[in-house]
Amino acid sequence: MTFSDLLLQQTINGLSLGAMYALLALGFTLVYGILELINFAHFNVFMVGSFIGMWTLQLMGINGQAVVMTGLPLIGVMLVALFVTMLLSGGLGVVIERLSLRPLRNVKGPAAMITTIGVSYILFNIILLTVGADSKNYPNPLPPIQWALGDAVLRLREVLIWVISVLLMLGLHVFVQRSKMGKAMRATAQDPEAARMMGVEVDRVIIIAFFLGSALAGAGGLIFGLYYNFTSFIIGFTAGLRAFTAAVLGGIGNVPGAMLGGVIIGLVESMGGQFIATEWTDVIIFSILVLVLVFRPSGLMGRVAPNKS
Amino acid sequence: MINRPITRRAAVGIAAGVAATAGLGIRPLWAEDKSVTVGLDFSLTGADAESAKRMENGAIMAFDEANAKGGVNGYKVVVTPYDDGTATAGQYDPAQAATNARKMVSNKATVAAIGPQMSGAGKAMAPILSEGNLAIITPSSTNPDITNPKFAAQYKPEGKAIYFRTVATDAYQGPYMANYYADVLHVKTVYLLDDSGAYGVGLADAFQGQAEKKGIKIVGRDRLDPKAADYTTVLTKIKSLNPDAIYYGGVLQAGVKLAKQSYDIVPKMIKGGGDGVYGPEMLTGVAYPANQGWYATVASPHVTEEAKMTQWVKAYKAKFNVDPDDYAVTAFDAATVILAAIKATSEGGKEPTRAAVRDAIQAVKVNTLQGPVSFDANGDLQDKTISVFQIRQDKDITPEDMRNYHYIGAAPSA
Repeated sequence: MTFSDLLLQQTINGLSLGAMYALLALGFTLVYGILELINFAHFNVFMVGSFIGMWTLQLMGINGQAVVMTGLPLIGVMLVALFVTMLLSGGLGVVIERLSLRPLRNVKGPAAMITTIGVSYILFNIILLTVGADSKNYPNPLPPIQWALGDAVLRLREVLIWVISVLLMLGLHVFVQRSKMGKAMRATAQDPEAARMMGVEVDRVIIIAFFLGSALAGAGGLIFGLYYNFTSFIIGFTAGLRAFTAAVLGGIGNVPGAMLGGVIIGLVESMGGQFIATEWTDVIIFSILVLVLVFRPSGLMGRVAPNKS
Repeated sequence: MINRPITRRAAVGIAAGVAATAGLGIRPLWAEDKSVTVGLDFSLTGADAESAKRMENGAIMAFDEANAKGGVNGYKVVVTPYDDGTATAGQYDPAQAATNARKMVSNKATVAAIGPQMSGAGKAMAPILSEGNLAIITPSSTNPDITNPKFAAQYKPEGKAIYFRTVATDAYQGPYMANYYADVLHVKTVYLLDDSGAYGVGLADAFQGQAEKKGIKIVGRDRLDPKAADYTTVLTKIKSLNPDAIYYGGVLQAGVKLAKQSYDIVPKMIKGGGDGVYGPEMLTGVAYPANQGWYATVASPHVTEEAKMTQWVKAYKAKFNVDPDDYAVTAFDAATVILAAIKATSEGGKEPTRAAVRDAIQAVKVNTLQGPVSFDANGDLQDKTISVFQIRQDKDITPEDMRNYHYIGAAPSA
């Protein structure tokens, strides 16, 4: 393997990781942008999403990697799985908001954030106690198509991850920038009180933000399963913390920033593993988190938040 | 105020308290309450839960059989199970293991214990058990440090051996597998991975030492974070270095993901590990075809497929509805040793105390399913057999059947 092929392969690996982190980071950013709340339940919505995806695929008769599909049936199955996973994960986000966060809306201080940590552990333990602690073999109908780029290998599943992620992110970007609800979201992010006075239903905006963020996390969970062929109750924390770092790096509250942050963290992980050592990955990533928080708390693309009174 | 005289009222209280305590003290003297407690500690939560359950079953089976025959010299064995796995760790958690050890020690009725499954848990438990003079027999934790006299101050501060094993240690498991790599598989270059746990690092170290002596070139070594999902980075690095083989020291939380992803990236490379990759999850979690060809070892003789074991295997399966593996056998053997020790210490109406049971375990010579068991002064098993297996999915049996680990033979000792 030549050095350039190696570099190319690690870039492919890094971009795939980055796409997953970016999908997750968007959920942090959406909710933070509007509520200034770091939603730690998001970690495990991602994990539950990957299980929802697994069950959906299994209901469609796909077990392990034994069933391979191509052409239209494959696209159909993928779309159904993606749709169901996003819908149910989004619903889960809404339920979390409605049951555990809305009652705390007017409580000052870190109560809401701590509640999200609690919710995160509840989801974690529900999955642990119902489906068990062992790693699950993920149903995966993708054919083992791959292309050789020199000695580097690009697989269909990597292309799929990129395509799905980019489409979802573009969709979100357009939604936030162009639609009426998107405008309401941006208005609420700037100043909830003024937005309310202008007739924006803030509660609805918040619910939409939770729905979208959780749906993207669910999509991320499904993609995670398809990429690694496995899922487990424990996948939320590592991925969630790295995605959170990505969101902070990009500028938390900033949608394009979350995508950029995700890709950077993904590449840092793969290049760090190649040129330093995998055991340093967490040290590198969390050093980035600390450095950003100390020297540029607004992140790469964020601006300093206006003082909300 | 220091010499406050005892008032009449306080005196009544004290008297009542003394009476109550004395009353409690009388209870164990009643004949029908004659029992001893044995603690069990396995990693029942997390990635190694399947293997843990099979071991726990093995131990429970032995005690149930003894109790069904009326106990040992009239003593019933009460089993108290503990779980050292936590959801947060996703596998064994040393802090939880330490808590369990404290609970075992503080329960006066506990005369011995079986466990832990994991060396990382064992390192946390050993000093506490030493202070409590409570003997524990591990059916599967193989890290040699715990019983190594060099680390006696750390793991047995009270001096006496309390950590016994019905398996060999990684001081044999790693090197013997290195011999197997060099002599049988003719491996010239190897990449080492470990999972950063006490067991995994120690096993990889032991393998590395012997591999270098055998002339195998170590082209690199990396440490996996068991909670991370992605090992494609390190596997891509390995692919670019193109060694003959990978050796992985570690347990299943990282092992399952490593097996899956290494099949994608380096499908043809020789891959193997220790007893950490010997478990049903390699069969169901990794699944065909990614697990095919993986080598695993077990630090005990392979007996579950022997003809004399048929009856036992059948009874185990009937009782627990799952197939036993070799560590279910070593757990059963650990229980057999404890039963023998309780028997020896309760002859002639004596009470089997914790201290007496420990001494009896140290001196034990008993025939078990894996053969005769006795311990050296450090608590290690005298017999040091390392069995090598390779995963090959058998068409005639279900994927989760442990017989998909095909027994190859004992690993060469030199």
